[in-house]
Amino acid sequence: MGRDVNTLTKTSGNGRRWAMVIDLDRCTGCQACLVACHAENNVPVAGETASAYGRWLHWVIIQRFWEGQYPNVKARFNPLMCQQCTEAPCEPVCPVFATYHNPEGLNAQIYNRCIGTRFCGNACPYKARTFNWFTPEFPEPLTEQLNPDVTVRSRGIMEKCTFCVQRIRRVELAAAAEGRSLHDGEVQPACVQTCPPGALIFGDLNDPDSRVSQLARSRRSFRLLAELGTDPAVVYLKGGETNV
Amino acid sequence: MTDTIRMIALLDEATQTAEAIDALHALGIEDSKIVVMSGVPYPERALGRHVGWLTLPYIVAAGAVVGFLVGLFLAVITPHLYRLDVGGHPPAAFGPAAVIVFVFTMISTIVSTFLGVLWEMDFPRFGRAPYHNLVTDGKLAVLLEIPRNLEAKARNILEAHKAHHIGDPEWISL
Amino acid sequence: MSDAAALPLGQAESRDEVPAEYEERLLLAQRTDAEINEAVLKPMFRGGLGFWALVAGLGGVILWGLYSWGYLIQYGLGTTGKNRPVYWTLFITTFVFWIGISHAGTMISAVLRLLKADWRRPITRGAEAMTAFALMVAGLYPLIHLGRVWKFYWMIPYPNNRLMWPNFQSPLMWDLVAITTYLVSSSLYLYLAMIPDMAMARDHTTGWRHRLYRTLALGWRGTEAEWHKLLRALAIFSVAIIPIFLSVHSIVSWDFAVTIQPRWHSTIFAPYFVIGAVYSGLSALATILIIVRRGMRLQEFLRSEHFDSLGKLIMVAGMLWTYFWFAGFLVEWYGNEPIVRALIEEEISGSLAPFFYLQMGANLIPILLLAFRKVRTTPILLLGTTLLVNVGMYTERALIVIGSLQRNDLPFNWGTYRPTWVEISVVAMTFAAFALLYTLFSRIVPYVPVWEIKEGRLRYTLRRIGRLLVPTAAEIE
Repeated sequence: MGRDVNTLTKTSGNGRRWAMVIDLDRCTGCQACLVACHAENNVPVAGETASAYGRWLHWVIIQRFWEGQYPNVKARFNPLMCQQCTEAPCEPVCPVFATYHNPEGLNAQIYNRCIGTRFCGNACPYKARTFNWFTPEFPEPLTEQLNPDVTVRSRGIMEKCTFCVQRIRRVELAAAAEGRSLHDGEVQPACVQTCPPGALIFGDLNDPDSRVSQLARSRRSFRLLAELGTDPAVVYLKGGETNV
Repeated sequence: MTDTIRMIALLDEATQTAEAIDALHALGIEDSKIVVMSGVPYPERALGRHVGWLTLPYIVAAGAVVGFLVGLFLAVITPHLYRLDVGGHPPAAFGPAAVIVFVFTMISTIVSTFLGVLWEMDFPRFGRAPYHNLVTDGKLAVLLEIPRNLEAKARNILEAHKAHHIGDPEWISL
Repeated sequence: MSDAAALPLGQAESRDEVPAEYEERLLLAQRTDAEINEAVLKPMFRGGLGFWALVAGLGGVILWGLYSWGYLIQYGLGTTGKNRPVYWTLFITTFVFWIGISHAGTMISAVLRLLKADWRRPITRGAEAMTAFALMVAGLYPLIHLGRVWKFYWMIPYPNNRLMWPNFQSPLMWDLVAITTYLVSSSLYLYLAMIPDMAMARDHTTGWRHRLYRTLALGWRGTEAEWHKLLRALAIFSVAIIPIFLSVHSIVSWDFAVTIQPRWHSTIFAPYFVIGAVYSGLSALATILIIVRRGMRLQEFLRSEHFDSLGKLIMVAGMLWTYFWFAGFLVEWYGNEPIVRALIEEEISGSLAPFFYLQMGANLIPILLLAFRKVRTTPILLLGTTLLVNVGMYTERALIVIGSLQRNDLPFNWGTYRPTWVEISVVAMTFAAFALLYTLFSRIVPYVPVWEIKEGRLRYTLRRIGRLLVPTAAEIE
């Protein structure tokens, strides 16, 4: 159903389309990406009880599906973050433009514009958006390592994975200052940087030579809920046998 | 103008009132000098009176047009004033614009009907006016503004049609 | 002229012929205008201990609800039972419920006014007031459910300090403007039709009430020109308000239907919501009329003939609701898409089963009951039946909003929901607020539109057909 990956060209300005490839064969479900994301993006920890009730705030989560009956059980891991859809269902429904499509094709979340209708959360078929149910708390000494580049969100607003837009901007500005273009792999979101088996790859999909571009053309590539036509910028590579 | 007087009379019943008004017309009293007050709306022309022309439909139509234009501005123009793209949608599209334009047209129609009818009725109009409290108890009040020399004749006509409480109207603060 | 002469205008001579059996009919009853005025005004001045106890009780619930709302704002939406993926819960359910209730007022007064159905006359004001108050409490929910309610004005369409406008593609913006429109329209409609009765009340009261009615009557004297203009304006209102009433619940349904959430994404939602709203609204109207009738001793005006007609209308609305429900269900079931199938299984035999069977039972049984004249005309039976309808319709909204959200495209994201005391208190607050507004309204404004009844009596007459004496309405307009 889904369009060819390389039709992901809804961009402007610099002509880039940031995308992530997730190799399910490499993912071990270690959750290092999740921890890195919490640290990078000032994501509070909801705690066990709240998480069990579906109130975690993780921007990326390892979805685990069990297959088969004991003793022949297999675990499938599926890291899920905001899919940065081209035709994002969450965007048109926001009454105050708190989520919109930025010129690089990223699905941007503007925290200080959000009034908390949670309509985007209902519209998102991946349920990749999380809500600040309470004022976030960072017990000491966690406050010492809050990232100054990222807003600490207040209660009552939606948030989600931004592809570490602060890192993209930092690299872009540095490259612009040096008067050169970006090279492939220079921008690394926190999860990509951290992933021990290298299951996550980030780059510009509109550059046919980039690693993500090459991997996205692989026969193993698929996109989550492609039949909905949301045209995500997260490309999965089908996994084979991962036994636990 | 000093030789005109006002006279009020109460009648019990619409047929008698209509006949009395016919007789008053025959006496040479203009239709515009007769005011009939009632607690019930009588059908147009039931009392044999001229029905006025209303500007209300024009006010309502003007209101609808204004609402339509405001809706069009909000739904179609404002998205281009500060361009923010949302996934897969053009800045302004038929569906959402139709909803917004419809709703603004309707609210403007309704509000202009309300304001228009108040304006037509010259409301709110507080202060003293010739009136009788028995109107809301089912009586029909006929209020005349006639030359003094017709007073006796008018009174006879009214009495002939079983009017009562004939006399100077009481100016009641409304 | 000749038509007018044939009518029983003075209610004097011709009234004497009225056979006893027709005394049951309000518009043929032998009462002078002054007696009607008194019968309507007298119960308004009675404020016994029971009345004040009711006001105090409702006020208590409202205060507690306000405290809960404050608690909610202070500590965040986490104090409710919402979670991911069930982002919308009891607040939106109750919002849809109240918007639904608000639909009967227009249904009764505008549609039946256009159709010249005379049985509407004594109940129009009660219905219109129900619309206005239901919309007022419904309008609270879009505020209550916001994560940052103190920023609600960012939705109001004005360019902010960065010259940015709100997003008119969002159904929540449509909601905002449509509910505002409906609230303004129904309030103005209610008030406009009330002006002659305000003048009537002004002429029969003293003290603070007199000053209030004098202000509200705007100097009404009942001249022919005033009546002519008022009736023309009411006719325009009746025509204009019907598309508004259809659009409001359609727009509420689009809050759900525009998403690609399984089950919500349905083209039948708009008419299904509208007819559900009429079903639930008419039932609520019958419930309220029965309670007010007893509380204010208005048995003379709200008679079994009216409840009989209203009951038939409810029955028709219920049948239409069943038809729309089935049309949606059949297609969902036949399509057999996995997530929708999971939802249907959950309803038939899973965790949602009690609610599903409550919804179906409480919506379908009343349709059968209302087929009996005895149920329609016995207040206590009709009260029970119509309350049952609204239990069913509330459950239906809960299933649509909360039930559907528990299942979505990725099974890892399936969820559950438990309400908390905060949510229940706030929901109770809006029920109490509606009841309090309505109670106070019924003591301040003549509950029965006196002039409309008098007008109806003017139109009504007895005709002899063969050996029968039958009541007919004369075509005077």
